[in-house]
Amino acid sequence: MKIRIGIIALFLCVLMMLSACGISFTNDIGGQNALFIGITDTKVDALGDVPEFDDEPYVIINDNQPDFTESDMVTKSYERYSQLDSLGRCGVTMACIGIDIMPTEERGSIGQVKPTGWHTVKYDNVDGKYLYNRCHLIGYQLTGENANVKNLITGTRYLNLEGMLPFENLIADYVKETENHVIYRVTPIFEGDNLLASGVQMEAKSVEDNGEGICFNVYAYNAQPDIVIDYATGESQLAEKSNFFDNDSTDTVEYILNTSSKKFHSSDCGAVANIKEQNKQTSDKTRDELLKQGYEPCKQCNP
Amino acid sequence: MKIIICLDDKNGMLFAARRQSRDSALCERVIGLSKGSRLYMNEYSAKLFSDYSDQIYVDSDFLSKAPETVSCFVENTDISPFIYQIKNVIIYRWNRVYPSDVKLDTQSLLKNKTPQCVTDFVGSSHNKITEEIYIL
Repeated sequence: MKIRIGIIALFLCVLMMLSACGISFTNDIGGQNALFIGITDTKVDALGDVPEFDDEPYVIINDNQPDFTESDMVTKSYERYSQLDSLGRCGVTMACIGIDIMPTEERGSIGQVKPTGWHTVKYDNVDGKYLYNRCHLIGYQLTGENANVKNLITGTRYLNLEGMLPFENLIADYVKETENHVIYRVTPIFEGDNLLASGVQMEAKSVEDNGEGICFNVYAYNAQPDIVIDYATGESQLAEKSNFFDNDSTDTVEYILNTSSKKFHSSDCGAVANIKEQNKQTSDKTRDELLKQGYEPCKQCNP
Repeated sequence: MKIIICLDDKNGMLFAARRQSRDSALCERVIGLSKGSRLYMNEYSAKLFSDYSDQIYVDSDFLSKAPETVSCFVENTDISPFIYQIKNVIIYRWNRVYPSDVKLDTQSLLKNKTPQCVTDFVGSSHNKITEEIYIL
């Protein structure tokens, strides 16, 4: 079940007044902080509860606790890759990341690999223009796997940069600094016979300190804001833009607010269905008024 | 009070109640900067400075107990209640993006001030760490 933990607007205002400043932290930091503000990450109990993409690169699974067994927690570095399935798709990859298997050279060319669902397609609104990257399941900086077809999927630029890279950086820098080991598993999620993965589950836990340094379990979406993707084939197109501003009635448009994520949507946005009832509000305020209140427009419907 | 904080490219501080990164060269530099007085911090941060146990002061309520002239290394403690006592801020930037669920609102803290001094240095495991010194 999708769980969003937020602070209601009134309580937020009171906290802001009491704080006498704008320094703000989000989320619980061990109960020590007196001021909470903003958005907490979306959390779900299990992979099957992951909601539709709503302009956040990842969601937290099982309170960030990975599903490793005790026997998984070893201190000898290794990397394992699944055989491609009958459709040529990658499977689960798992590694014990250690300093001894990290690369010492720059990455080579991987352009010869064409993972399932691959299309060379460019959009002006995508960072670097190209919608798809060849995404390493286990990042090159962790194990130095270059053009291994069992480790490369077709992934959006957004998945690569916003969904996966920050977590790979987290592990890489921890291992380099401590020379400890991190158990890391990346599972691409394909629905049915789709050639393009819907996303990837990433689980990691540091071994020598039993997760004190690194411990996470997340699902990163293989999606791109403002682009509609057909996951069966990998084909894509620009999302239709809202035309709310093409007439003079902007001040009478109703928006749907997510009071938890602080995003506002057009009333016909598909993401509205994923908003929990207690976080959903209808507003007749103007776009500018909502922006001033700290709300951000949904990148999917772009109200 | 001088506050010392580490941030990533998105002003993130923590993820899943854990620091985003660490670097022993940074710790050595921070200890060097606070020479002559103990560096204040809580138990969580003290593990990073185990080689300098005689040069740190560890207390869960270290921000309340810090004299005006000392430096405080802050990782997971809200500094909002101490805003008017903070005279200097040193930010160490990892020059990397990590996941974060706790961020620092630098705009409200620094009030659009520009750093008095910016210095890049090589960390023990980071190619480039940037030190920014602000006087408020």
